[in-house]
Amino acid sequence: MMTCRNFREKLQPGTSEPELLDHLRHCDACLDFAMNVDPDLFFRAIGGEEIVPPGGVDAFVGDVMSQVRVRQAETSLAPHRTVSVWQRLAIAATIAAGVTGATLAYRFEHRPVTHPMSPIVVAANVPAAHFAPTATKSFVETYSSHDATIVEMPADGSDTKVVMIFDDKLPADL
Amino acid sequence: MLAEVLRMIPTNDSPEPDDRQLVEQIRHGDDGAFETLVRRKTSKVYGLCYRVIGNSEDAKDISQLVFIKLWENLEKYDAQYAFDTWLYRMVTNVAIDFMRNKQSRDNAVNSTLRLVKTAVDPEQTVTVQRKEVEAVFNAVSDVLSPKQKTIFVMSEMEDLRSSEIAKILGCQESTVRNHLFNARKVMQQQLKRRFPEYARLWEESR
Repeated sequence: MMTCRNFREKLQPGTSEPELLDHLRHCDACLDFAMNVDPDLFFRAIGGEEIVPPGGVDAFVGDVMSQVRVRQAETSLAPHRTVSVWQRLAIAATIAAGVTGATLAYRFEHRPVTHPMSPIVVAANVPAAHFAPTATKSFVETYSSHDATIVEMPADGSDTKVVMIFDDKLPADL
Repeated sequence: MLAEVLRMIPTNDSPEPDDRQLVEQIRHGDDGAFETLVRRKTSKVYGLCYRVIGNSEDAKDISQLVFIKLWENLEKYDAQYAFDTWLYRMVTNVAIDFMRNKQSRDNAVNSTLRLVKTAVDPEQTVTVQRKEVEAVFNAVSDVLSPKQKTIFVMSEMEDLRSSEIAKILGCQESTVRNHLFNARKVMQQQLKRRFPEYARLWEESR
């Protein structure tokens, strides 16, 4: 360690020279002198020393190592959840297949019902209400005959009205 | 004759491994290497924790926590960086977290205690002694934020350069210098308020 005389000769404000700081931290007489040269060295006086934890280094290291061993034991007892790359790929493929299958099944079940007249309805851009009778047979809107017998069925309270027409001249498929 | 003398001098065939070599050994499952590393760094880690936290028991607990974290995260250490920088980063992170939690707990209980002054005649001439400086530091440094205090300790007591501190904290060097500037200013104000006999040193030097 440098002498007090050397220290006092070399000391400059704002010094960070390790040799000077080392002397400052070990010599109270020079600390007082240094404060008059540069008060900012005040707190530098308490640095640079080896501080030992309470109980000593051996006890400290022993505590740390025993805690590490406990952690090691915990880690080795814990179930291994390591999944290989192939396993991950297999899981991903299974999930993808499941999702695709479910989507296809859903679309198949909920696909729109295609009636023979539907394309005409879309193409004609006519409101659907006009096509209420979706039967495949043709229908007659007006009918005139002198030989027909028309029988009206008694209404049972509903809006539906059933009328029966008997006429030999009617086409067979009507 | 000279050859015989040289042969009698014990040679050190297995020099102590450096930090990086020890890390490599630990990664290969050598618990003994970890023990060596802990023993080697105890004083450094505990010293920094003690200066920042200011309480030996808390500093001991925090230092042990740092070493446990070190053991758990050793795989993440990149050997192209200095081991001490990585270690110091871990210490500062844990210590700053602890200080922040402690400050918020303490603030709720005894914030008024900080305003207590020591009854000393400001004109009194004092002889500065190391032990007293330590006591003064512990008394006034509580007003610093955990980060300010950590930077102050690393700079003033651990003699680290601003560039090194910036690397440890992962910030700009200018940020470190700003924190240092503010910390010194706050500490001087606190000295003036609570230890006027020491504050005179600054006034006299102007």
